[in-house]
Amino acid sequence: MAQSSHPPVIVLNDLKKRFGIGNAEHYAIDGIDITIQKGEFIAIMGPSGCGKTTLLNILGLLDSGIEGDYELDGRHVATLSSRKQAHIRSQQIGFIFQSFNLISRLTVIENVALPLTYKGSSRLSRIKQASAMLQNFHLGEREYYMPHQLSGGQTQRVAIARALVNQPSIILADEPTGNLDSRTSHIIMEELSDLHKQGNTIIMVTHNPRLTTYASRVITMLDGKIDTDTGAKPAKKKRSPKRPLGKKQKGRKKKGAKS
Amino acid sequence: MKLLFLSHVQNAQQSLKSNRMRSVLTILGMAIGVASITAILALSSGASKIVSDQVEALGGNIAVVRPGAPSETPFEDIAQFPTKQYYTASTLTNYDLETIQALTGGVSGESNAPLNTPIVATTPEFATISDLGVRDGQFLDPSLSINTAVIGAQLSVNIFGTEQSIGKIVTIKGEPFTIIGILKRTNSPINYNGVNFDAAVIVNRETSGKLNQDTLQIQQINIRSTSVETLDDVIVYTNKQLLKNHFDEQDFTVLSGDQIAQPTSQLFLAIAGTTAAVAAISLIVGGIGIMNIMLVSVAERTREIGIRKALGATNGNIVWQFIIESLALSIGGGISGYLVGYLAAFAISTFLPFDPLISWQTAALALGLSITIGTLFGLYPAIRAARKDPIDALRQYD
Repeated sequence: MAQSSHPPVIVLNDLKKRFGIGNAEHYAIDGIDITIQKGEFIAIMGPSGCGKTTLLNILGLLDSGIEGDYELDGRHVATLSSRKQAHIRSQQIGFIFQSFNLISRLTVIENVALPLTYKGSSRLSRIKQASAMLQNFHLGEREYYMPHQLSGGQTQRVAIARALVNQPSIILADEPTGNLDSRTSHIIMEELSDLHKQGNTIIMVTHNPRLTTYASRVITMLDGKIDTDTGAKPAKKKRSPKRPLGKKQKGRKKKGAKS
Repeated sequence: MKLLFLSHVQNAQQSLKSNRMRSVLTILGMAIGVASITAILALSSGASKIVSDQVEALGGNIAVVRPGAPSETPFEDIAQFPTKQYYTASTLTNYDLETIQALTGGVSGESNAPLNTPIVATTPEFATISDLGVRDGQFLDPSLSINTAVIGAQLSVNIFGTEQSIGKIVTIKGEPFTIIGILKRTNSPINYNGVNFDAAVIVNRETSGKLNQDTLQIQQINIRSTSVETLDDVIVYTNKQLLKNHFDEQDFTVLSGDQIAQPTSQLFLAIAGTTAAVAAISLIVGGIGIMNIMLVSVAERTREIGIRKALGATNGNIVWQFIIESLALSIGGGISGYLVGYLAAFAISTFLPFDPLISWQTAALALGLSITIGTLFGLYPAIRAARKDPIDALRQYD
């Protein structure tokens, strides 16, 4: 899937997201410019409430009502209809949530097959693809379990399988290892790293500085702005862990970024 | 799109199953509404079918001439329901072949007859045309004295206390008539002549002048053709002839087949329609039940809606998902209500002189109503679901 990365996948230009009105008004995202090339593995770090999750939601076309410009594959998102946006979510974007967000009344395989439903595949091909994807994540025997019967690591792997089943080119992960022990985290990061090697663009929000070792680029955010950006690929990993850890204590709780 | 529809159906099935009690109760509410409408329609169409059956049983070669211009709307026919015409001046005149005339007045014998006994003045051929059987004695005969009468079996019992009343005298509007025949029981108080012959007195047409101040009010002329094939020709001929008699003024109506029964069945349908409209209230209540449950369901599944949207569902997908769920409820209620309605109709009909009619119209109406209700009352919750902001939806219960 690796291709020439000439046109950037994502271009953000003075992106702003405001919450509240009047006195309560504040910007969760306060003027962000990023250009993301195809095939990058980006880790976004920062204290709680700095707007990481909000940024990820905007990138995933879940959050509308933004100021500034967001270009996805050369298209201005603001001009796209909600139908078109849903289509892009279905075809191009895979979302991995921190809280897994599996549908509790559906079985594991139905959950994984869900994105394919909106892509319009037949039931049989949905089940086949979902099953193959679960095999990849060593969950073959768990296909007909209900989500609550799985351990945390398994649940997250199901969530990742679901995000990947429609072969998206952009994977957005919101603290994919947030609730998991280090061993499971490692397994999951290996998966993501494999996906990255296959040429997918991965944008991951994390609190854990250790995970940035997997990333090709680390962006640190602070108060809705970009604090540091390692740019294309320089190994600036040593610096990035420090800041967020230091800032974390006084991280302000803001409505815009609950995660 | 078709695949998506199937998956919506599966999804609806699943979600309704997971809340079984709730779904069953909602379906029950819907079923009660549909059942009452089905029962009412089945019974009323059964009742109006009696009349058309009679016309058919006579061989389908009956035509009827009634006074008054042909009406455009069925409701005018109701206003002209034959029994209502006792006192209106008829536009038909004395020209025609077989006539039937209805009057009311006091009929008395040795004891009092019930008021409003129909007095029918007609010609001897009437027995053949309308298939009236004579149980005892004979039908009217012009060769006999004109002050003779034939009475219905029930009327005989009412007046004389027995069905054996031949030779007895019955007084009609002060005129004495000798009874020469007793009719067989017809057991069909509802028929196209608009007269219950079980309780009627039939006299010669010639005598009726005496009873009615020498004015003839012909209410209906029955024509029977020799076969079904010739009926159309007969109708055309009759029309032409009558038009000539009436100086080209179309102040009469020639009816055949189903048209004869129409005023009667229209009246039944009007009554049934009113009753069904009342029953429709329960249908609306059922629909509100569906809406209520769907709103609860949407609220419960806010997070699921968020997830689905994040995974690529369009607003349309979400609307359909919930519409199909509410349709499943309403159609489930519609089908079970239809079946229960017929069970009820058959149970009730054991006390009635007619059977409920099973027709595709009733089935189509039941189905159509439930689809309409399901869509109508499911639309608002579905749109509400689709309008949810994915971010807010995902954040719920976090």
